[in-house]
Amino acid sequence: MNGIAHTLLANSDAQAVNLALLMSALLFACGLVGFLSRRNMIIMFLCTELMFQAAALAMIAFGKVHHDVSGQVFVIFILTVAAAEAALALGLIVLLYRRRETLDSEAWSELKEA
Amino acid sequence: MDFAIPSLAILSSVTPPAAMLAQSDSFAGSGLALTIACAITAIALVLLMRPGSTGLRIAATVGGLAGFAILVVEVLKRAGGEETSLSTVFPLVFGFTALAGAVRMVTHPRPVFAALYFILVVIATAAMFLVLGAEFMAFALIIVYAGAILITYMFVLMLAQQSPAENEGGAWYDRVPREAGSAVLIGFVVLATLSEAYFSKSAQSFRDDASERTAGDGMAKAWQRLDGMPKLLLETSQKAVAIDWAKTRAEGDKSPAPKVAEVVRDARGKAIRMMDDQASIEVRLADGSARSVLLQPELVPDNSRQIGVDLVSKYPAGLEIAGVVLLMALFGAVVLARKQIELGEDERRELAGMRRLTVDGEPGGSGGLR
Repeated sequence: MNGIAHTLLANSDAQAVNLALLMSALLFACGLVGFLSRRNMIIMFLCTELMFQAAALAMIAFGKVHHDVSGQVFVIFILTVAAAEAALALGLIVLLYRRRETLDSEAWSELKEA
Repeated sequence: MDFAIPSLAILSSVTPPAAMLAQSDSFAGSGLALTIACAITAIALVLLMRPGSTGLRIAATVGGLAGFAILVVEVLKRAGGEETSLSTVFPLVFGFTALAGAVRMVTHPRPVFAALYFILVVIATAAMFLVLGAEFMAFALIIVYAGAILITYMFVLMLAQQSPAENEGGAWYDRVPREAGSAVLIGFVVLATLSEAYFSKSAQSFRDDASERTAGDGMAKAWQRLDGMPKLLLETSQKAVAIDWAKTRAEGDKSPAPKVAEVVRDARGKAIRMMDDQASIEVRLADGSARSVLLQPELVPDNSRQIGVDLVSKYPAGLEIAGVVLLMALFGAVVLARKQIELGEDERRELAGMRRLTVDGEPGGSGGLR
């Protein structure tokens, strides 16, 4: 009734939760590294989406620990914020690209108009 | 190229002792093995990020895999002495796919491929959600991320296309990372802190306690949610009565289960009674007789129903604010992306209700006619 995953994982929940938490930490670190080291503005924002994913995974894993669906409800809010962020960030990027004809974030390191 | 040899030497000298360390029990609780494994993966990542030779990349990949293997072994060991079963394989495979996609996304020189690898990460994460029993969020994630957000990214990537000459192997700013070393160092610190916070002995035992304490509690909460859904409650009670009827009726009796007329609520308005983790419900049947039936665990509301009820009953303000955030994002995106149309002298005069300066059909006017 509640999905195949439940019956399969009835006795190894702790292992699945631990693996999910490890994945969330690794994904977050990857996203952070990408955000700090890539120069392409679009990739930088993709990396923030990666960090959102990691946060969502951690939410769901901890929700599983506490047998509570609030973790999953919070993922809905994470998705909302991610969608809003994507729309605004991409609008900004298109605007910036029109001005300088490059996606390099270094082009804007002085934060002033050309 | 020139640091290929020393880095290989470092990797080959670090990996086996770290693996041995992970295997020995004396270090199991100390968290040192976790930190070392994090450091190995970090070194591998920084090597992968710099544009280097193929040999160096292979060495870094092997090193990264070794670090990842140690992390997995350590983390599984902390989850308790259970045997690693087939069902651990699923999260392992999905997790590995997600991580490989993420690393490739961060290191790939071409933005379009990075976006495609991110779709891989999204799908693997959604599969992980499924394993953790969050079916609704798994599919919502695929629809919203892979279906909507990533397509938007693709559109912007196409709008901001580089010229073909520049595009040989990607633009320079896509090939050369900025401060890869310090970025990975910060990532390593975050990773080590997170893994220490998640997987230290106290954190693990706290988690086990919480899981044990709330196992029955979670079920009770789910039944309470059902209590707040009158229509579903009636349907569920009908099903419970049918199950009960099938069990108790005489052999060969093919008559259908009696219809439930209504659910009886107690003085506090509660329909479901909990007794030792066992939920029961009292119903009045169509013929007027009352009956008390047990609710089987498989009748609990499914994942999406529980999320829906939680969303509107526990977090209504959050839901409203989410709507406002989306609306503001819509306005913001429209304002940002609006194209500034340059108006000529003629158009401006026309808008102001004045005559054009140039006459139709006359070539070479100052404002120019289209």
